[in-house]
Amino acid sequence: MREPVYDDTDLIPGQPWRVHDSGRPQPRIVTPAAEPGGPPSDAVVLFDGTDLSEWESAVNPGQEAGWKVADGCVEVVPGTGDMQTVRRFGDCQVHLEWATPTEVTDDSQLRGNSGVYLMGLYEIAILDGYDNPTYADGAAGSIYGQFPPFINACRAPGDWQSFDIFFETPRWGEGWLVEPARFTVLHNGLLLHHRQEAMGPTVHLDTSSYASPHDEEGPLLLQDHGPMRFRNIWLRPLTDYDAE
Amino acid sequence: MASLGYDDTDLIPGQPWRVHDSRRPHPRIVTPAAAPGGPPSDAVVLFDGTDLSEWESARSPGEEAAWKVEDGHVEVVPGTGDIQTVKRFGDCQLHLEWASPSEVVGESQGRGNSGVFLMGLYEIQVLDGYDNPTYADGGAGSIYGQFPPFVNACRPPGEWQSYDLVFETPRWDEGWLVEPARLTLFHNGLLLHHRQEAQGPTGHRNTSSYATQHDEEGPLKLQDHGNPTRFRNIWMRPLTDYDAE
Repeated sequence: MREPVYDDTDLIPGQPWRVHDSGRPQPRIVTPAAEPGGPPSDAVVLFDGTDLSEWESAVNPGQEAGWKVADGCVEVVPGTGDMQTVRRFGDCQVHLEWATPTEVTDDSQLRGNSGVYLMGLYEIAILDGYDNPTYADGAAGSIYGQFPPFINACRAPGDWQSFDIFFETPRWGEGWLVEPARFTVLHNGLLLHHRQEAMGPTVHLDTSSYASPHDEEGPLLLQDHGPMRFRNIWLRPLTDYDAE
Repeated sequence: MASLGYDDTDLIPGQPWRVHDSRRPHPRIVTPAAAPGGPPSDAVVLFDGTDLSEWESARSPGEEAAWKVEDGHVEVVPGTGDIQTVKRFGDCQLHLEWASPSEVVGESQGRGNSGVFLMGLYEIQVLDGYDNPTYADGGAGSIYGQFPPFVNACRPPGEWQSYDLVFETPRWDEGWLVEPARLTLFHNGLLLHHRQEAQGPTGHRNTSSYATQHDEEGPLKLQDHGNPTRFRNIWMRPLTDYDAE
């Protein structure tokens, strides 16, 4: 038995559709992974544990990334520099897993430091924040130098941890900022930021701003700030309501 | 020992803290669960598979919830009505898992229909949306009657599915709406809404508005829509803002 369809209801304010509109597009079907954290059907898999074919050196784009792949993960080789994806992305959902060095050395920003940069510009800090105080806006999961995480959700050194990042690029019109970049971040499933506006591309020791427009898409970049391991990295472009 | 921060940097615009401020409060420590989907250390566990002690009848508050608990889940007993938590919540992060009936009966809104109501008022639709077209703003994960989900992330009937929801309550001032309710939803880990403003408490066949102020907190409510939908692993954690103690 089919339920009634509605074509006689009021228009939803601000939308071109009626309430329960039978003509409104069906949401696009995406098949989720069998296990939590796995790549869904519309994901671009950026690292599945085997090779760095999706990556390049960020210091010398076009040249191979110099990090080491072993045992299903990729490890920073300190001194080889940041690496970034060959592909460019705009609005996206990113999943990645990281583990700080098991052997604890130094403290604060010198212990297990790295970062994930959306568009190569907007950093979410990666840090061994387990029993390791540092300045709040540089903690694990911070929008570096701008917003600390709501909470500290760090696991112990050497344990695998997840970031799920939802990123909206800034929008520009004729050189003027129309919409800032926005972040939602889950760390080990816990909310750190809720569609928070970034103040501009990430800088160190200074305030940030949207002084100059940048490209609409950019690479996902991982930072060489010393030893760190990564695995299971995927990204899916985000689409708005009623996308085909 | 390395420095824990700086005291000579500029103030961050709009914030009472300097860039990398050594005095800014350290984020509160919350221990995540060992496995994905498990309750973290600051969660209120609302259903762990054993009993409905955190729940009551929504029709007759104070009376026991009449849904059936077995095999580590709770199943709607059609006709017994909605159930709601005894506790009341405001801003929160919610995790729950649900499964629509393995035996497929009916179609569109008649197949595996239930719902999760934040504050008892704002509905996220639960529906067997696997190979089951319905109106978009009533799809699984829709903000019912207002916004369809970005995507259809449904698993087949009988399989367990997860909702992770972030909810901000509306704010009122002297009877006037200051901030609308906002919702972020992940269905099986996929984003369906991104801090979307709700247009008001959920209605049916009608547009919604914030005509009347309501309480600052409310129960979490699960809907009896006549189908034996199952739920398990339900927990909630109150949300705090930046720099909360």
